[in-house]
Amino acid sequence: MPSILAWSRIRSPWILYMCTGACNACDIEVLAALAPKYDVERFGILLKGSPRHADVLVVTGAVSRQVAPRLKRIYEQMPDPKFVIAAGTCATSGGVYWGCYNILGGIDKVIPVTMYVPGCPVRPEAVIDAVAKLIAKLKSG
Amino acid sequence: MSTFNMEFIVKDLMNTFPNKILDYKFDGARSVFVSVDTGVLHDVIRYLKDRYYLKHITTITGTDLGDSIELIYHLSPLDRRVLVNVKVRISRDNPHIPSIVPLLPGAVLYEREVHDLLGVIFDGHPSLERLILPDDWPEGVYPLRKDYKVEVR
Amino acid sequence: MSYYQVPIGPQHPAIKEAFQFNFILDGEVIVDVKPRLGFVHRGIEKGMELRTWVQGIFLAERICGICNVPHTTCYCLAVEKLYDVDVPERAKYLRIIINELNRIHSHLLWIGVLGMELGFHTLFMYVWRDREKVMDLVEMISGNRVTPSMNCIGGVVYDITPEMIPIIKRNLDNLEERTKYYKSVLEEDPSIRARTVDVGVLSTDKALDLCAVGPTARASNVKSDVRFDDPYTLYDEIDFNLITYDTCDVWGRAMVRVDETLESISVVRQALDKMRPGPINVKVKRIPPVGEATARVEAPRGELLHYVKSDGKETPYRAKMRTPTLANIPSLCEMLKGYHIADIPAIVASIDPCYCCTERVMFIDPDKGKKWIWSYDELRNYSRKYYGVGV
Repeated sequence: MPSILAWSRIRSPWILYMCTGACNACDIEVLAALAPKYDVERFGILLKGSPRHADVLVVTGAVSRQVAPRLKRIYEQMPDPKFVIAAGTCATSGGVYWGCYNILGGIDKVIPVTMYVPGCPVRPEAVIDAVAKLIAKLKSG
Repeated sequence: MSTFNMEFIVKDLMNTFPNKILDYKFDGARSVFVSVDTGVLHDVIRYLKDRYYLKHITTITGTDLGDSIELIYHLSPLDRRVLVNVKVRISRDNPHIPSIVPLLPGAVLYEREVHDLLGVIFDGHPSLERLILPDDWPEGVYPLRKDYKVEVR
Repeated sequence: MSYYQVPIGPQHPAIKEAFQFNFILDGEVIVDVKPRLGFVHRGIEKGMELRTWVQGIFLAERICGICNVPHTTCYCLAVEKLYDVDVPERAKYLRIIINELNRIHSHLLWIGVLGMELGFHTLFMYVWRDREKVMDLVEMISGNRVTPSMNCIGGVVYDITPEMIPIIKRNLDNLEERTKYYKSVLEEDPSIRARTVDVGVLSTDKALDLCAVGPTARASNVKSDVRFDDPYTLYDEIDFNLITYDTCDVWGRAMVRVDETLESISVVRQALDKMRPGPINVKVKRIPPVGEATARVEAPRGELLHYVKSDGKETPYRAKMRTPTLANIPSLCEMLKGYHIADIPAIVASIDPCYCCTERVMFIDPDKGKKWIWSYDELRNYSRKYYGVGV
């Protein structure tokens, strides 16, 4: 039974997307990954609306103070096994917003991160590459 | 739509409010900074609104000058062709000033923003609440004041 | 009788662009709206005071990723006023071209988002496919799809070579044909019309009183556009129209944006033809003279203002930005009153907002004059008790 679950996750990871206080450039690039030119849906990746349905959490944005507890809560609501992709330089380390008082820094200050994808903004190809590497890692155990 | 002549507006203000227009400086071709006495701010804005239709308020900028707080009201007429920036100074320790929301309803959020970030109290504002700082931000701490230092990691 | 304040948060499947407004409802009808902003508040104005004048350009670019070019243009215009320097003519035309390409991409993005909000995902997919042409053009000119970082204090840093011009024009011809098709979809499709005509009405008087800007105001017949009122760079040498509609509803705002996209395509073509060879920037000193300056620019969402103050040091004494979405919030609260919950996504999307948010529930009892807020845990426990699931 567990191998069937693992097989289904590897074939078709479902994504939940969250923005934690950013300039929106990474958000539109992640959305562009869903649009016809880059089209992640051909890999079986679907964007879902609820944390209960998702395997992978894609987060953009340097975490603002108000959003930090919500991010933690969303992460806790996701069922195991779960993976987190930090998309963009701001999600990795705070990026260009050093010295801004309402920003905590990268998302690894709040939740554990599986994969970091740099870029300002992150390119859609890099997001697809990140998910493909994640699937390969899952396949190899 | 007419094109307002900024020199004319400034001279008219100086005649209508003698000794209350402290200074003026032109900023490019279509913008002017006018410093006025704080007591006549309301009357100046009402005069500019009624006589020159300066009904569009772009924003209110607050700056901490160390010994006082400077507020700049950026106004433009209906055809938006010029920008008249009215400057006043208020005390830093007791920063009260009458709200201009009764005159210009569009200023409602800008006054809340200045209140949030600099601690200025606009008397008569319909709902002077927190606008953009988080709920767990400590009371009495105003980030745009110069004594608030940001730690740079 | 209690009215309910309902949050619409980022996890709601119908809303893609998150925000927090407390809707006070009487059944399904919206009675009042109270905004609670600030979840994307990053403290940029304070951050500018820690950076040098040049570093400030890169922070200004990241105020909004979608309309980043107007932000850098406005900041550079304000700082150039402090220096009292005039940029070369070619730089002005290049600024016009990159600003208009940014406007085209932003408006096309918005049409796709409108499709998503109305449940018309096909429109989203089609429009975003065509939008990729603009991203490719920006990448060809500057190396980055979204944030070209083209402006510098004194001009621009990248140039358009003669080889690029036929490629740009070819892509623009293609885009113009596609945009005309989307215009016909918006004009003729009965489902879109049913969801947008006479929805979210903002009368002209209210738009003027509440100081609305951009397409939100222009769809309520307010003739204002900074490119006409206070021309910057060389917009006064280009021949294009100020688009207004008098329907004052969501449909009007959509049509204003589509028509502006067509005008922008024409502006880019004219700028490419009028541009003459020459330098693209001038050198300025590291620190500007003491003084203060303002600059206004027409961003895709409306009038944008930057104010800078220098005290002769390496870093600005004060840098203030007023983004157009903030100016449209009071108008948004006004245009939501009297409509149904189901209209919320379309009306909120129609001002083209640009931030994200979280949720909370507040109860108001007007008879007793009490109001109380529940925390998320209290709400969760209440819903568990209500459905008999156990706390």
